[in-house]
Amino acid sequence: MRSPFAYAPRRGPLQAASPGAAVFYLGALLVVAFLYSSPLVLAAVGVAAGLAGVLACAGSAVRAAIKLGLVIAVPIVVVNALVVDRGETVLLRLGEWPLFGQVNVTAEALADGAIFGLRAVVVMIAFAVYSACVDPDRVLRALRPIAGRSALTAALISRLVPVAAADASRLRDAGRLRGPAAAPLGRATLIRRLMAGSLDRAVDVAATLELRGYSLAAPDTAARAKGRSRFDHRFYLAGGLVLVAAIAGKVIGADGFHAYPTIEIGVEPATVALSALVVLTGLAPGRRNA
Amino acid sequence: MAVAIALLLGAAVATAGCGVGPGSGVGEVSLTVTRDYGAEPVMPVAADDASESDTVMRLLDRETEIETRFGGGFVSSIEGLAEASRDGRRHSWFFFVNGVESPVGAADFALLGGEAIWWDYRDWSAVSRAPAVVGSWPQPLAGGFEGEAHPVALECRGGNAACAAARSALGEVGVATAGGSPDAAIRVLVGPWARLRDDPAAAQLEDGPQTSGVFADFSKERDGGYVLEGLGEDGEPRRRFGPRAGLVAATRRYDAPPVWLVTGATARGALAAAGLLSADRLRDHYAVATEGGEETPLPLPMASR
Repeated sequence: MRSPFAYAPRRGPLQAASPGAAVFYLGALLVVAFLYSSPLVLAAVGVAAGLAGVLACAGSAVRAAIKLGLVIAVPIVVVNALVVDRGETVLLRLGEWPLFGQVNVTAEALADGAIFGLRAVVVMIAFAVYSACVDPDRVLRALRPIAGRSALTAALISRLVPVAAADASRLRDAGRLRGPAAAPLGRATLIRRLMAGSLDRAVDVAATLELRGYSLAAPDTAARAKGRSRFDHRFYLAGGLVLVAAIAGKVIGADGFHAYPTIEIGVEPATVALSALVVLTGLAPGRRNA
Repeated sequence: MAVAIALLLGAAVATAGCGVGPGSGVGEVSLTVTRDYGAEPVMPVAADDASESDTVMRLLDRETEIETRFGGGFVSSIEGLAEASRDGRRHSWFFFVNGVESPVGAADFALLGGEAIWWDYRDWSAVSRAPAVVGSWPQPLAGGFEGEAHPVALECRGGNAACAAARSALGEVGVATAGGSPDAAIRVLVGPWARLRDDPAAAQLEDGPQTSGVFADFSKERDGGYVLEGLGEDGEPRRRFGPRAGLVAATRRYDAPPVWLVTGATARGALAAAGLLSADRLRDHYAVATEGGEETPLPLPMASR
C-alpha cells in the first residue's frame, strides 16, 4: 500500500515547477504559520496549503495530514491546559498533582494550546503537499552542489522510507496469508523485522542510487536552466507576495492574538486582508496557464 | 458499578480541592501599584476577595489593565506604563507580597488570603533587587510571608527607649514578639548602628544596596562614630544625615526570613526610627530615614525626575 505522503508523478503546475519554486512557495506558507499566532491567519494558511494540495491532485495527502495533525494537536491542547496555569479564566480546579503542583485548567491555556495545535495541523498539511507533489530526486539534485553529504543522507532516507513502507506492506500480507488460525502479526513484530533488515535495505538503496548515477558531477548551468518550468514565476510570485504581506502585516500589527492574561483576538482589516491574500495564493497550483 | 465509580471519583475530586470555576473565597487581599520606589501611586489601593485558584497575576489582571510577555508569565505593562529603557536607564515592574520580594513569578504565586501585594515600577539599572521593604507595614510581621506565618523576634541591642517604642508599635498592630531568636523568626533589630553592624544580615548595608537592597549606608567617622547616608536610585550617596537621624529598613540574607532594622547613628537616632513604625509613615516606601521629625523616603530620587 502506497503512503498518501509519497511523491507521485502527476501532470500539474506544482509538480512541473522547479524544486526551488515549489519549495519557495510552500516555504512561504510555512513562514507565515510560524510567524503568526492569529487563528484567522493560521486557518488561512491551512486552507491555502490544503487548496494547493487538492489542486495539485494530492487530496489524499491533505486528508491524511489533517488526520495526523489532529492526532498531534489534541495532546498538545490537553498537555498545555494541564501544564500551564496561567490566564485569568479558571475553568477547572484539579487539585494538587505530583510533579505538576496545583493544576488549574484555564480558558487561556486551552486557547493557547489550540493555537499550537492549529499550527501543527497547518504545518503537517504544507509538508504533506510538499511530500506528495515535489519530486524528492529533483530537490536532492538541486541540493547536491550545495551540500553533497547532507544530500546523500537525505536521498538515502527519502528513498528508504517508501522502501520500508513497501516492505511492511508485504510482510503484513505474508502474515495474513498464514491463515485465520495463525496468531495476528503485531506492530512490534513488524517493526522489529523491518529494523533488522533496514541496514541491508539501505545498502540496496545506496547501490541503486549509484547505479542511477547519483555520484556523477553536478549538472551544468545549461542543464539546470533546462530544469526550469514555465510555472516557476507563478510560484515565486505567490510565495513572494505572501512573504512581503506577512512581514508588512507583522510590522503594522496584523497578528492581534494574545492568549494571556486574557484571550484577545484582534481581527483588524490588515488581518482579514492578509488572510484573504494567503487563501488566494492557495490557487497558484491551479491548471490555468500562467 | 459505573455509578459507584463515578460517586467515588466525585468524592475524591471534592476532597482534593477540585471543582469547576475559580473556587470559593479565601479572604481579602490588597493591591498597591506605584512607580519610582513608591513615590507616586499609579492607581488607588484596591482590595479584592481572592479565590482559591487566584494568583498574584490573576488578581492584578482583574484590577488593572496589563500586558504580559513570555507566555503570560512576565508583566510588561500596568495601566499603560510599560517597561522601558530611558536615557540608558532600565525601568520594569517588580512586586512584593507582604513586603518581601517574590522568589517566583506573579503567575506562579498563589494567594491564600490576607496578603498585601505591592507592584512598583522602578529604575533597576543600578540595583536590580530589593529583597525586603518596609512599605507594607505591618506585613510581613503580622501575617508572615510566602504563605507561612513566622514568629517575630525583637532583638534589643542598646537603646532601651527605642526598644520599648518598637515593642509598643508592634503591639498596636497585634504582633506578639517571641522571646529569644526562634528558628525562622522575622527579626526586628533595634539599636544604634554600632551595635547592629555585627549581625550578618544587618552588615549587608555596608556592602551596598546591590547586596542589601537598602539605599542607606552608615559611614564611619574619625571619632569612631557613624553617620547615616541616604543613597540615590543609582546607589550613590546623596545626603548625609545628622547624628540624631534614624532609619527603618528591611533586608534579607539568602532565603532566611527578612530582618528589619530600626536604627540610627546614635541611640537617639534609633529612638527616632522607632517612632516611624506606623502605616502612615512607612506606607509604600522601601526604607525611611528621619531627622528632626521629618521623614525622608529612600532611595532619594534622581535629580532628573
